[in-house]
Amino acid sequence: MGEGGRLSMSEADLPRRTRRPEIGRRVWHFLSFGGPGTAAYACFVLAPILISLGYSLTNYNPFRGDTDFVGLANYRVLLTDEEFLTSLKVTTILTAIVVIVPNALGLAVAVLLDRRGWVFNALRTVFFVPVVLSSVVVSVIWTRLLDNDGLINQALRGLGVDEPPGWLSDPDYALYSLGGILSWQMLGFCVVIYLAGLQHVPQELIEAASIDGAGPFRRFWRITWPLLAPALTINTVILLISAFKIFDHVQIITRGGPGTGTTATIAYNVLQTGFIANRQGFASAMAIIMLIIIAAASAIVLKLLQRREVDL
Amino acid sequence: MRKLLALLVAAVFAVPLYVAVVNVFKDGPLIAKSPASLPIPPTLANIQAALGRPDRLFWVSLTNSVIVTALSIAILTVLSAMLGHYIARTRSRWTRALTLLLLSGLMIPPQVILMPITQVLRALGLMSTVPGLVLFNVGYYVPFGVFVFTGFIRAIPVELEESAALDGATRMQTFWRIVFPLMRPATASVLIFLGVWIWNDFIDPLIILGPSQGTTVTTGIYRSIGQYQVDFGAMFAMMFLATLPVLLFFLALQKHFVKGLTGGATKG
Repeated sequence: MGEGGRLSMSEADLPRRTRRPEIGRRVWHFLSFGGPGTAAYACFVLAPILISLGYSLTNYNPFRGDTDFVGLANYRVLLTDEEFLTSLKVTTILTAIVVIVPNALGLAVAVLLDRRGWVFNALRTVFFVPVVLSSVVVSVIWTRLLDNDGLINQALRGLGVDEPPGWLSDPDYALYSLGGILSWQMLGFCVVIYLAGLQHVPQELIEAASIDGAGPFRRFWRITWPLLAPALTINTVILLISAFKIFDHVQIITRGGPGTGTTATIAYNVLQTGFIANRQGFASAMAIIMLIIIAAASAIVLKLLQRREVDL
Repeated sequence: MRKLLALLVAAVFAVPLYVAVVNVFKDGPLIAKSPASLPIPPTLANIQAALGRPDRLFWVSLTNSVIVTALSIAILTVLSAMLGHYIARTRSRWTRALTLLLLSGLMIPPQVILMPITQVLRALGLMSTVPGLVLFNVGYYVPFGVFVFTGFIRAIPVELEESAALDGATRMQTFWRIVFPLMRPATASVLIFLGVWIWNDFIDPLIILGPSQGTTVTTGIYRSIGQYQVDFGAMFAMMFLATLPVLLFFLALQKHFVKGLTGGATKG
């Protein structure tokens, strides 16, 4: 716009008395338009992050009087803390499942549904419904389905499986069951994004390629898939960010178990340590590490995927 | 062929949804024994049980959810539209820094800020209150609103505002009489997405409203599953009733939903 530049040029010629109100007017412009929103954001996001950073250098516990500055001790302890390292591993596995499975299946479903007609429109709606459901509702439904005597195991027994797995009660299965539930909920989001991407693939390109003798797989791999790059970027970044902060499903379905911490994500551990054990200094250090990882991971993924978009 | 395959895949995918709905209308023992059977004959006993709980859990939760969601999205729309306008129409180092700060807010997990939030709200005397939760929502979701509005305002020609200013309108008048009415699609996106998110939110009301002070529909459901003798029929009924508003809202505004979601996905 360059509006600011032009203004300050002419300002230089004006006497001082009129320049002052100009600055005042700009401040007023910000305060009247941006003030309330910025203030809310500063009070409830920025300041709390700084306070968290401060807490993380102490042994703060709201139910104990004496708070000491402990420097980086919390971070040092965390680096070798069994529970924390397990939660890192759990979060990484869960994030990997949630980034890969809905992305891959979502693409497949989008390709399947990429046709006109009311049947396909209705089916799109079906796939999107879990996205607008509360994670609490999704968690309760799946807890019933995956119960040892729930629908899934009833069906498996009916098919002749004598001892179907304890999807949520067996430490070897629980984390993957959780990943499956999350993938089910996020799938529709990916479908919608990929469908929008598919609509922008020029039909002429596909036709030209098939005249040149390219089969359907070749056409998909060489034309459609590269053109879906922006959709892949959006899905991956959104899935990554939401997978990393998974808390609700863990709290409702498994409570971090079965066993010790087999499904306890970092997000879950932060709140357990902060609000149940009340070790808020220690929990804040975890939260800060979590914030650093999520910021770094999304920045890297965004950069990598966007480079791919530009390269086309 | 493709239609058949699509129907089959969707049918498998929809099994949990089907189970959630049919069990609302089945008697308790039948829910455990045959969760997938059709509710014949259908019963309204579960819905009556959920609505008629002596602690009025459903009604209290519904009232809280409606108040929290409505207030939050109304305030958020106004604040983020104005802040978005300021950012889109001002170019300076300060605005760029502000934009960057706000954008980074899009990925901040609530876990990082909830512990200090309880202190901030306690200091303001708003911990465990509905206004406290609303204020938190406003601060936490303002980046999303600003993100949507800024992008939209950049596409509106600035000449419109300049000519209004020449006619003697103040900035505020210009914004509310000319710019804001033009932003209806952006406003719809913000209202829809934030409405659904805030309605479905679990962790923030759990921590901020507290377990006993008051429940929203999500924490209400959570509380009903924490009790010893879980009446699954009544629980399914409560989930059904709590989801119905958001589901109807989604079905009615489906087109806007998808448009808002896919705006950036295609980069025309």
